[in-house]
Amino acid sequence: MNPPDLKYTEEHEWARADGARVTVGITTYAQDALGDVVYVDLPATGTRVESGQPFGEVESTKSVSDLYAPVSGTIVERNESLESSPELVNSDPYGEGWMVVIEVEDVSVLDGLLDAAAYERLVANA
Amino acid sequence: MPSDPQLRQSPLDDRHRALDATMTGFGGWDMPLDYGTVVAEHRAVREGCGVFDLSHLGTLRVTGPGAESTLQQALTNDVSKLVPGRAHYTLCLDGGGGITDDLLVYRLDWGFFVVPNAANASAVRAAIDACGDRAERDVADVKADLACLAIQGPDAADVVTAAGVDVSDMAYLDVGPLELASPDAEPGRSLDDGPVPGGGVLARSGYTGERGYELFCDAAVAGSLWDRVLAAGAAPAGLGARDTLRLEMGYPLHGQDISPATSPVDAPLGWAVKPGTGFTGEDAYVAAKEAGPQRRLRGLRVLGRGIPRARCTVRRDGSDVGETTSGTFSPTLRLGIALGYLDPAIQTGDRVEIDVRGKSLPAEVVRPPFVDRDPKA
Repeated sequence: MNPPDLKYTEEHEWARADGARVTVGITTYAQDALGDVVYVDLPATGTRVESGQPFGEVESTKSVSDLYAPVSGTIVERNESLESSPELVNSDPYGEGWMVVIEVEDVSVLDGLLDAAAYERLVANA
Repeated sequence: MPSDPQLRQSPLDDRHRALDATMTGFGGWDMPLDYGTVVAEHRAVREGCGVFDLSHLGTLRVTGPGAESTLQQALTNDVSKLVPGRAHYTLCLDGGGGITDDLLVYRLDWGFFVVPNAANASAVRAAIDACGDRAERDVADVKADLACLAIQGPDAADVVTAAGVDVSDMAYLDVGPLELASPDAEPGRSLDDGPVPGGGVLARSGYTGERGYELFCDAAVAGSLWDRVLAAGAAPAGLGARDTLRLEMGYPLHGQDISPATSPVDAPLGWAVKPGTGFTGEDAYVAAKEAGPQRRLRGLRVLGRGIPRARCTVRRDGSDVGETTSGTFSPTLRLGIALGYLDPAIQTGDRVEIDVRGKSLPAEVVRPPFVDRDPKA
């Protein structure tokens, strides 16, 4: 269920590299644990984010969770549709529910993230 | 298996597990938090019909010639004005005027049916036991044998009727016996052999703001009643939706918005307190009322995005003026709402800021309900 072409973090974000542009969202497991996503707080474009550090928040009716940057870089795009339709994070976490695009200096940093198999083991043991 | 072996299980536990509910500990019980999505369950109740398992609620049967005078002393509302067939909201105060619990008292032909919050059931029982003449009344905890289903929403009357229960001519807070034509009743068993005379209690009540019915029935027939209610079109709804629904109405939750540390003068729940009836805590209540509110429980509607939670500091012009006690996303309004105790100088219509994890959310002080719903309609 977790696309094999993506990279994953232990905090349940996914990252998809397209050259230096890395699209980021949260996993199916994360959105299911959160329940109905009702609000996503994302940084403005141009904001510098650091790998492993919180860059935003995702809120459900039940709780709030930090979003952690899988890679360091600069926010170059944010998913504006989440402002009016945060439920896209639940209905299509790997597609329409994407959150930001981070531009990285060095794409090799993605190699330090989990692959789909390793992430699935992590979730299975959660 | 319960999520915690210390928790009590509802008679409907197997139904919740079959529906793959997320279970949670609540007031000592293992109860459904949601069946997948709080927002959809909330909408079902506002737009159609939802059914909640409220079997965790305390249920006390108070009977005998001294039952009325006992409850008049134990609880704040004027129970002598309550006629058989009617129910009212009331409070149980401690000697210092703090709120031990908020609850409903139903009066039936056979006596009183008292329904406290699960977590406070034993405290309310102790408060009642301490009042009146023991020889003149009997107090029985009938929890072990009773389930409660709350069927709520604009279509609730149709659903309950289709499930085999007649609710015609019931006005808001009417109550009567629940004569269940149950297919699984044991032959030869009289309805009066059950936990309450008549077999059960049927009331038009609830805590969602919608038209709704609460059906207290013998635990043995709860499963088949639940199945009929679902078959009639009700969506199962959990405690998550119950919380967002009650908060949209501004109804306080004991343990969160009201507690032994809060007064009905501040809450403000004085409408359910009738000085002169001799209730426990009356002197302290009257003194607090004369002193005036030290703070006021108010509604807060966020202007813009962001969701307040409980225990967020509220400021005006940079100065602390209070704290939230409940906060959530309102599925109906699609914005953040909260209840909180504010400085009494703050008025409806004032602008304040709620500190949510270091971020300042602008909000307007409002008089609940946040949504235009009326359970009497």
